[in-house]
Amino acid sequence: MNLTQELELFPDHTVTQMLFKEVKNAAELRQSAVDGRINGALINPTMLVNPFQVLVAANKAVHLQLIGKMKTRSLNSEIIFNLSPTNNISEAFKRFGTSDGDESVMLVVVHCKNESQLLEDIAAQVDGRQVPVEDVSWLSDLAKIRKLFKVAPQEETCGTLLDAVVCRMAIKDVM
Amino acid sequence: MTPDHLVALLCPPLHNPRRRRGGNMAPEKSATVPQFLRGAELVKQGAEARVYRTQFLGRPTIVKERFSKRYRHVALDEKLTRRRTVQEVRSILRCRRAGIPAPAVYFVDYTSHCIFLEEILRSSTVRDHIASTQQSASCTVQELDRDQDRELVQEQELEQLAQQVGQILAKMHDEDVIHGDLTTSNMLLRRSPEDRGSDLVLIDFGLSYISALPEDKGVDLYVLEKAFLSTHPHTEALFQKLLKSYSASSKKSSAVLKKLDEVRLRGRKRSMVG
Repeated sequence: MNLTQELELFPDHTVTQMLFKEVKNAAELRQSAVDGRINGALINPTMLVNPFQVLVAANKAVHLQLIGKMKTRSLNSEIIFNLSPTNNISEAFKRFGTSDGDESVMLVVVHCKNESQLLEDIAAQVDGRQVPVEDVSWLSDLAKIRKLFKVAPQEETCGTLLDAVVCRMAIKDVM
Repeated sequence: MTPDHLVALLCPPLHNPRRRRGGNMAPEKSATVPQFLRGAELVKQGAEARVYRTQFLGRPTIVKERFSKRYRHVALDEKLTRRRTVQEVRSILRCRRAGIPAPAVYFVDYTSHCIFLEEILRSSTVRDHIASTQQSASCTVQELDRDQDRELVQEQELEQLAQQVGQILAKMHDEDVIHGDLTTSNMLLRRSPEDRGSDLVLIDFGLSYISALPEDKGVDLYVLEKAFLSTHPHTEALFQKLLKSYSASSKKSSAVLKKLDEVRLRGRKRSMVG
């Protein structure tokens, strides 16, 4: 059910995504993440079109961390920030981070290879039902995503919504 | 004074390391991306960049790496390379916004000047397509009526392609994107999976910029005309079809085509300096 992808550019970094539904302790989880007790990023899955979006954000976060150019204070917060089309940090957290009342949560962990124990420990803190990560597309709020990323219908004639979103994420620092 | 001294006096070393005041000018280099590219398949090497094919985040990806040029001053080189990288991704997004197909951007590394782009699968360059169509037409020229029909079909097909190119360039120029390097090698023909014809994808926006001037658009078309007619002999009529469809699809085409006539007479440079 986990989706694990090695970052080809950074071979000692691997990204694992876990999707939970019917989550009952979102507020508690968010607080733990803020306090640093959860070493992962908690994302609002309704703003995701596809898990690839998270990989792009995580790859960029690791890259910026290694060259010392992160805009936020930690790798996990940088992942959330990179998902947003704007350079406003608090807005990024509000829209792409988990909010207290959320019922679904995408948990993203950047780790070394073969750290299954670590993943289990983090997952154990979520009080919810784990579902396959690919199911995220059932949760996406497409209208909201199109509006936030300003994707016009004509753009979707030449590519997918995912392409449009990923392009904006990749280029936002020079727009 | 020895000749060596003279040379040193006349030509101050461009790459004097002491001139590089650290900090603002020289960003830290991350070696990870160049190292990764050593394992990738080199597709093409140009004057300005190398293009690799690889997997990135599990997807087929093209990486365009702009390398530094040793003959340029370090600061200027860094500035130019960076600006072109930025310009390229900006123009791609601008085109996509307008519904003009261009490869999606997955990741940009401004320290090693690499752009990670979606690989356009099931595609060939317009250049190869025209060349192979022309070749198969000339092979059959000596055969019978049936083949003449085939030739006709191929000619129609090329005309349709020229129309498609004209339309897409009109759309691009209406968005004020000047491609800067229009050639038939920089256009890909992508076959749709269900074989419902094919669409055109523009690539290589490395020399592109934003301008609303008919002059710049005219030069853009002039560059294409030169490239088109020299790579594909005997295609003057085909190129006229392209221009016709351009003028039919663009709102501001008359001023651009007037400029094109002017540019043809004088060449691409407006001022004779440099």
